[in-house]
Amino acid sequence: MPILVKTQSSGTGDWAIIELQGDLEVRSNQDMHDQFIGDLYYNKYGQPILIIGHHILQGREQKLEKPFAVLEKSKSNEGQRLLDTSIATQDVSLLNATSGAERTVLDHTIAQEHKSRQRTEYTVRAVCTKKLIFKSRPKPIIANVAKTV
Amino acid sequence: MEAMEVDENAPQLYVRTPEDVKAIVKHAKLDERQLTQVTQALYYPSANIVADNLRLLELDSHMLHHIREGQTLHFKGGLNEKIVLCTDERTYDVKGAEISNSLLLVPDLKFGAATSTSPLKSPRTGNANASLERSLNDSTEDDLEVPRTLEQRSVLAVFHEYFECREIKPRFRKLGELLQLTRYSGPENEYCIERKVLFSYQQLLDTVQCSRAQFEEGLRNFRALEFDGHIRVLEYEYEYRIISLMLGLISENSWALDEVERGETISALKGIAPEPVVTGLFDIYTIPSERCPGQFSYQESLVARIVAQNILQPGLRFRNEEFMRSWQEAMPEGMSCEMQYLRGLGICDSEGAQPCIRSLAEERLPTNLNDRMRDLFKTKRKWTLEEMEPYIECFTTPTLSVSTLLAKNARSLTEAGVRYYVSKH
Repeated sequence: MPILVKTQSSGTGDWAIIELQGDLEVRSNQDMHDQFIGDLYYNKYGQPILIIGHHILQGREQKLEKPFAVLEKSKSNEGQRLLDTSIATQDVSLLNATSGAERTVLDHTIAQEHKSRQRTEYTVRAVCTKKLIFKSRPKPIIANVAKTV
Repeated sequence: MEAMEVDENAPQLYVRTPEDVKAIVKHAKLDERQLTQVTQALYYPSANIVADNLRLLELDSHMLHHIREGQTLHFKGGLNEKIVLCTDERTYDVKGAEISNSLLLVPDLKFGAATSTSPLKSPRTGNANASLERSLNDSTEDDLEVPRTLEQRSVLAVFHEYFECREIKPRFRKLGELLQLTRYSGPENEYCIERKVLFSYQQLLDTVQCSRAQFEEGLRNFRALEFDGHIRVLEYEYEYRIISLMLGLISENSWALDEVERGETISALKGIAPEPVVTGLFDIYTIPSERCPGQFSYQESLVARIVAQNILQPGLRFRNEEFMRSWQEAMPEGMSCEMQYLRGLGICDSEGAQPCIRSLAEERLPTNLNDRMRDLFKTKRKWTLEEMEPYIECFTTPTLSVSTLLAKNARSLTEAGVRYYVSKH
């Protein structure tokens, strides 16, 4: 059974991707939910500037050569197009015997495909066509005033 | 990189304030006037947001267009198959790509242009407009300070992986093999057919790894037709018999080759073969006549192939001229047979004392490239590129041509100015 990727012509908004070199990490093993990461600014030329902690990153706004679709996996419980039950119980050995050893392994594919009726579905939540990329190393911010930063 | 906690002991959640922003801008020695008016504060997702069911899928322009139009895509693949992604027309190989960079997915994030009330400046370049641009820029720099606004944005998910797609050729082999199981050879032989392996259009489309448009094309290539709710291909002898009867009507009715009547053909075969078989075959084998509207002409290549297939049974070989003669004789008058119609059915072997034509059906060869190469070189010692092409082309991809495949899997030599390929070992 094919797994559907559904799209809505109207509902797909444009989301953004911020690409950072490396990873975001916190010192302690604390819960990161809802925690503040950093500030994003743009200068008058549209260049993005990201300040994370006492690090400043200069980036670039870039059109994605190959845009990203954000897919959301969902499992629907309603039985969709149910297949003929005769297919679900079909004889696997028959398929193997007729196709011969040298042929593609047809083995369980068809039988299994039809038995395990897929209810997984993907929905395109959004499309990302642009990203902010921060390629350079973060530079430290040194405050003049001795304040705890 | 570190996400700094401003107050590490505070249990309550920290929310960025405009004062914090002002302070950090000052520390960073940024000139506020050089920044656009909106600052966006980024946060990690909330605990109640489940993001592990999100995936990033890289799109090409064709897929993007489909998604924008609201069309559905399909992932297809059985247990032992690599998954493919299909649009209505194309098939893609899907691969997970891991990256060391982090991709932060941020809904509703504003890009540069959206954060500024005035148009963004273009970077100064040394072109002729530079001075003009500078004067424009200078004037805006004196603008009155617009108050900074602060907007809060949540990152939805952080990715280190995305799925990339590569367009591939449709995989028809499974379709061929499934249809092979239930070749139709007339109503009297239907009792031998295992009903469980008869498939409907939808069942086959669901399982074969190709798009709907390619599936249609595949069915045409296999000369499959639909009747009694199932997709079937015909036994060659049976197909040949029906086609001969249909072709016989041409001389019987003294039709010109492009004056074939559909209705008459179908009614003439009533009682000889089931009507869906006749209509199906007629529609596969004919094209609308260019000269006479409403009438049809048979496609020479298809007729030549089924005739050749009937003569050139597996394992047989014929002297060259002998084969061409009987082939031509079996064709309706006015149609000719050419070597190119034998593509994938038989080969010309000129190594022996007598050049001969022998049967070599592409569909009967091993599906594995190595095994197939071995079989091919066993059948014939040396091959030209054109001769091998029909047997190898199913392994090609947009980046892997027949000649690269041969360069890898065979040895080439040049004899009397002709390049041949021979076995590697």
